[in-house]
Amino acid sequence: MAEFYTTYGFLITSMVLAAAMALSLYLPLMAGQLSLASPGFYAIGGYIAAVLSTQVFHPGPGPYPLYLVLIEMLVAALVSAALAVLVGVPALRLRGIYLALATIAFVEILRILSLNLPILGGAVGIFGIPQPFNTQGEYIWLGLPLLLIAMVFIYRLERTRMGRAFYAIREDETAADAMGINPTATKVIAFTMGAVLAGVVGVIAAHFLNTWNARQGTFDSSINYLAYVLIGGSWTVFGPVVGGLLLTALPEILRGLASFRFILFGILIAVGAIFFPQGIITPELLSRFRRGRQPGRPASGGQQASQTHGPAK
Amino acid sequence: MTLINVWQNILNGLAVGSVYAIFAVGYTLIFSILRIINFAHGAVFTVSAYFTYLLTGSAINTNGTLHKLFTDGFGAPALPIKLPFVIALLVGGLLAGLVGMLLDRIAFRPLRQRGADPLLTLVSSLGVAVAMVNLIQYFFGAEIYSYPANPFGNIPAAVNFGTADTPVPVRTIQVIIFFVAIVIVIFLTWLINSTKLGKALRAVSEDAVTASLLGINTDRIIMFTFFLSAFLGGISGTLVGVSVGVAGPYFGITYGLKGLAVIVLGGLGDIPGAIIGGIVLGLAEAFVPPQFVAFKEAVAFLILFLVLVIRPQGILGRAAVVKV
Amino acid sequence: MDQLSSTATIEPVTPGGEVVLEVRGLTRRFGGLVAVNDVAFDVREGEIFGLIGPNGAGKTTVFNMITGLTPVTKGSVALHGENITGLKPYQIAQRGMARTFQNIRLFGNLSALTNVEIARHTHTGSGIIAGVIGLPRARAEERLTRQRALELLALVGLADRAEEKARNFPYGDQRRLEIARALALQPKVLLLDEPAAGMNTGEKAELSDFIRRIRRDFDLTVLLIEHHVPLVMGLCDRIAVLDFGHLIALGAPEIVQRDRRVIEAYLGEGE
Repeated sequence: MAEFYTTYGFLITSMVLAAAMALSLYLPLMAGQLSLASPGFYAIGGYIAAVLSTQVFHPGPGPYPLYLVLIEMLVAALVSAALAVLVGVPALRLRGIYLALATIAFVEILRILSLNLPILGGAVGIFGIPQPFNTQGEYIWLGLPLLLIAMVFIYRLERTRMGRAFYAIREDETAADAMGINPTATKVIAFTMGAVLAGVVGVIAAHFLNTWNARQGTFDSSINYLAYVLIGGSWTVFGPVVGGLLLTALPEILRGLASFRFILFGILIAVGAIFFPQGIITPELLSRFRRGRQPGRPASGGQQASQTHGPAK
Repeated sequence: MTLINVWQNILNGLAVGSVYAIFAVGYTLIFSILRIINFAHGAVFTVSAYFTYLLTGSAINTNGTLHKLFTDGFGAPALPIKLPFVIALLVGGLLAGLVGMLLDRIAFRPLRQRGADPLLTLVSSLGVAVAMVNLIQYFFGAEIYSYPANPFGNIPAAVNFGTADTPVPVRTIQVIIFFVAIVIVIFLTWLINSTKLGKALRAVSEDAVTASLLGINTDRIIMFTFFLSAFLGGISGTLVGVSVGVAGPYFGITYGLKGLAVIVLGGLGDIPGAIIGGIVLGLAEAFVPPQFVAFKEAVAFLILFLVLVIRPQGILGRAAVVKV
Repeated sequence: MDQLSSTATIEPVTPGGEVVLEVRGLTRRFGGLVAVNDVAFDVREGEIFGLIGPNGAGKTTVFNMITGLTPVTKGSVALHGENITGLKPYQIAQRGMARTFQNIRLFGNLSALTNVEIARHTHTGSGIIAGVIGLPRARAEERLTRQRALELLALVGLADRAEEKARNFPYGDQRRLEIARALALQPKVLLLDEPAAGMNTGEKAELSDFIRRIRRDFDLTVLLIEHHVPLVMGLCDRIAVLDFGHLIALGAPEIVQRDRRVIEAYLGEGE
């Protein structure tokens, strides 16, 4: 077991962090907003951790104290939240593809800024980021709790007033408006939640990877996160997690196929989009697990009676 | 800034802008008919450059699988044909067009048939782009490819837009690209507005269901749109490859992101808008003051964000009326 | 043909009832088209007020302007004396005006129960964190929301199918669900856009009774758009008639239905 973990610790922790990033995209998506902005907040979180730990905090020798990592997370959360509101209020008035494009622009602007700001190390970035742990596998102690907290948060959120408001907007923004829900404010809240999660993941990742530069958090990553959500399942909290875990592990599993693995990855994404429009983990699938097989129901023209989406009970 | 500098900047801006423009035209054409952003456009742009390269009988680098395949099959790591550049350009474009049609058939049509969300089409096109780029890398390797010198024969390497004393040279290939951009726009505008085929295109773009009820074979029209977009994209890719060299399989993808800024700026789906957007972006980048030159790359995305927030329909688009 | 805001039909004054909704000079122009032209009327407390007219007369546009979904080119709307022109739809909903839609806009993938619970958003206020953690007050509020929603579903006869997806309901039930959802907003004024569309005679009679009942039980003022003239005549206290965006008659049903212009407007409508 320990053997397995030393070999695969890095991979497993990467999988967990990827799943968390997928959730950071899922949060605005719950309110119907396709935001590709997560990599931007991830990058910011990482830079905050990198700068704070290499230039501001000066702990003594030995492993980097965990409480400082937690402080970095707090700072990253606050900065991400502030930036999310600032960017979100104008951008979230856009819908659909326009919003996605605005978030792509946001990420690219941040990337180019970070390439050129000396405090962020320019193109080279910041390295030698202090480590609270001795091996990369141990970062699971930070990553897994974060993922679990995020999952529980979202799972509970779906069953509360704000979660319902998210879904209402996702279903029909105009009708939600007419029912007393402030669309822009609600969308900004969803967007900010995703941003905060991404920022906090960034903090962990910066220590995990030991160096941080403008190549962390790019448009390419947002494609990956989008794939995790769309293929894993865009209608339940478990979907993005499964997608993130699976699709991060896949290139490793396919490692034997050398350069074919990316070709396969691309094909899988396309195939997934075509044949699994709701993703692999759908609400219907989940309710079958929960209630056991459905007793034979007469099919009624493709309708799925008694299946609910979103908050189950 | 002296007048000569301004003039130089304008010319540089136009040159770079025309590259953006010819990339964007195919991009926006797909959007105008299908309301989707085809991220695989960048890959098609790239693949055509490689096709043309092969057709001129040039050699493949050792890292590409084709190197071995061709050496075994043909005795040399190249195709045993050596087409004149302009022919190779057109054939390369045609092949790219076929690839475009193939992509529609396997990646987009199934989604259309399922009435899928445009987001899924976006993701599918991304998956296709990833697969294609890596296929290119597999076959050709990741190194830089350059076309044989003087592809257009014995024409001067540069055109002088200044005077004899103060020359303002612009490379001939850049002038060619500029004119090709104009020609493409004129051709497309003619096609869409003055031909029966164009009418069918417009009908499908307005309402595909009604169009098919009126007897228009929408699937064929859409396939043609993909062919045309890929053909134009392909020609553009090769010309740009001649101009700047083919830096690797990701050569077209980097234009893909800036291309988004161009088509939004010009108005999503608006074909003359793609040219105007490209030129405006090129000029904007050319006039970035020297102290900010490091941030030049961000200009495109700043423009993209601001346009979206202030005037999402772009320069030439009409404001969409949302029906309740 | 140019109508001013006053109309030629004299209306008998309905005793009592303060003005709850005041519409003045309401005009909607876009492009070169004038969809609604200088429409004015008052709706009094407790009334069932009907808005009728041939297709394309601008009735739904008037509704959309009153509820903030469509911008007002000219004119004003006041609710309980407060000027609500130009307010956003959610702000107007928060001030006690709820509506249903001509083309039914339910949250299709959500359950009937969730649809109704959502409309209680404005009247509940637990914080996000309190809700997620499950603090007692938040949980009590959730229980209350669920209970009230079930009550409303029971009112429209859909309580046994509370967990079904809204889009799986038959058309008539979807209309009733939309009304239940609107009622969850605890409105003072309820706007119904063609609530009887697609119903047969028996169902329409039931709907009329239902509207009268909820007016009484929930202390509502009801404004309704309807196509089916007999339904409107039997149900409404007063009626306004639109034609090509103009108000051509306003008053009690018996008087309006004898108005020459109204008859002309409906000629060829096949009602």
